Amino acid sequence: MPKKILFIEDDEGFFNIFSVPLKMKGYDIVHVSDGSLAVEKVISEKPDLVLLDIVLPGTSGLDVLKELREREETKLTKIVMLTNFGSDDNIARAMEYGASDYLMKYNIVPSELPSKIAGFLGETQESVVKVTES
Amino acid sequence: MQVYILNILVIVESILLLITSLILFSKTRNLTNLKKYEEALINAQAEQQAKENDFFPMLVHELRAPLSVIQGAADLLIKSTEDLNAEQIHTLLNQIKISSSSLLEMVGEILDVSKMEGGKFQINKTYGSIEDVLKEQCSYFEPVAKVRKVTLSCPKLEDLPSFSFDPERIKQVLNNLISNAIKFSLEGGSIVITSKKDYGFVRIEVVDNGVGVADKDKPLLFQKFFQASNHKDIKEKGTGLGLVIAKGIVEAHGGKIWVEDNKPKGSKFIFTIPLR
Repeated sequence: MPKKILFIEDDEGFFNIFSVPLKMKGYDIVHVSDGSLAVEKVISEKPDLVLLDIVLPGTSGLDVLKELREREETKLTKIVMLTNFGSDDNIARAMEYGASDYLMKYNIVPSELPSKIAGFLGETQESVVKVTES
Repeated sequence: MQVYILNILVIVESILLLITSLILFSKTRNLTNLKKYEEALINAQAEQQAKENDFFPMLVHELRAPLSVIQGAADLLIKSTEDLNAEQIHTLLNQIKISSSSLLEMVGEILDVSKMEGGKFQINKTYGSIEDVLKEQCSYFEPVAKVRKVTLSCPKLEDLPSFSFDPERIKQVLNNLISNAIKFSLEGGSIVITSKKDYGFVRIEVVDNGVGVADKDKPLLFQKFFQASNHKDIKEKGTGLGLVIAKGIVEAHGGKIWVEDNKPKGSKFIFTIPLR
């Protein structure tokens, strides 16, 4: 069973360049582009990991993160912020609300994202590939 | 008699002194006012500079985002050529095309504003029908509006004569106004574009029943880098130069552009172009 990633990102360009290598490594990607639909989708999809942008229409990524951490059913879900906005305040708030990590889009080479995700999920790259082949 | 004359002279001298003092006082007051104007001007310039400085990182961010996407997509295509399927290759190539177009558009906007500010902006007028331009832009935006669940209509009110204008630049104005109208409309909204003759001018209106423009934003709307933030569901994006360019283009034609409220809801962007 492939691991499921819920990717909350409203920029089609960033979604495409980051989701293609993740799909190639066998992850099941579910896309949400509106912040106000994010919490509901995390609850219904039960992903193994959430990739969460900050600037979103509807509800900001930080508010989504806060709400996910406050809800019983999502308080332990792994959430990685993937954003362009690296201000100290945003990073501090995201970590305070319980983000697993804070990644900057500009600093991540898309082809290297799967190995980072595998790390967050406690997998090795080989095991991810095996999931793809099975 | 001599004392009487002397007294009169003293009085006249006092009056003259009083007049001189009043003149001097008034001059000093003028100077104080001048100083105040100078200070206000310096403050306004500093405020504008501070605003531009604040928006500069935002502008760079807007340019950097499509560049990063292009770089990321190219990197994947080079490194993972053999692992990508045809659909993924198409997605990445298409993304490079979309992001580079958006980048080119933004660079074009920055160049246009720079030319306008330097007094070097020029339009290329040709004799033709503005109705054709309107029709073309309406057809272009209809599918976009449909996707956003907004209706777009361009009813013909009357026949307009042909005249000289720059069709590409007028398209740019219409593009900006229509895409803004779509962006600031909510699901189920409607946009109506009309054109008519108005005392030696052609008057074009782009009317929507969307979120409208807040009164406080109206004076800033045609200023550089201004981004309206009047609805929580509408994310601000872009360079904040679109309406500045639209104003520059309309004024280069000798026309005017402005915004009015569309009662009870929405906004009405109007521009006029002289019929000559």
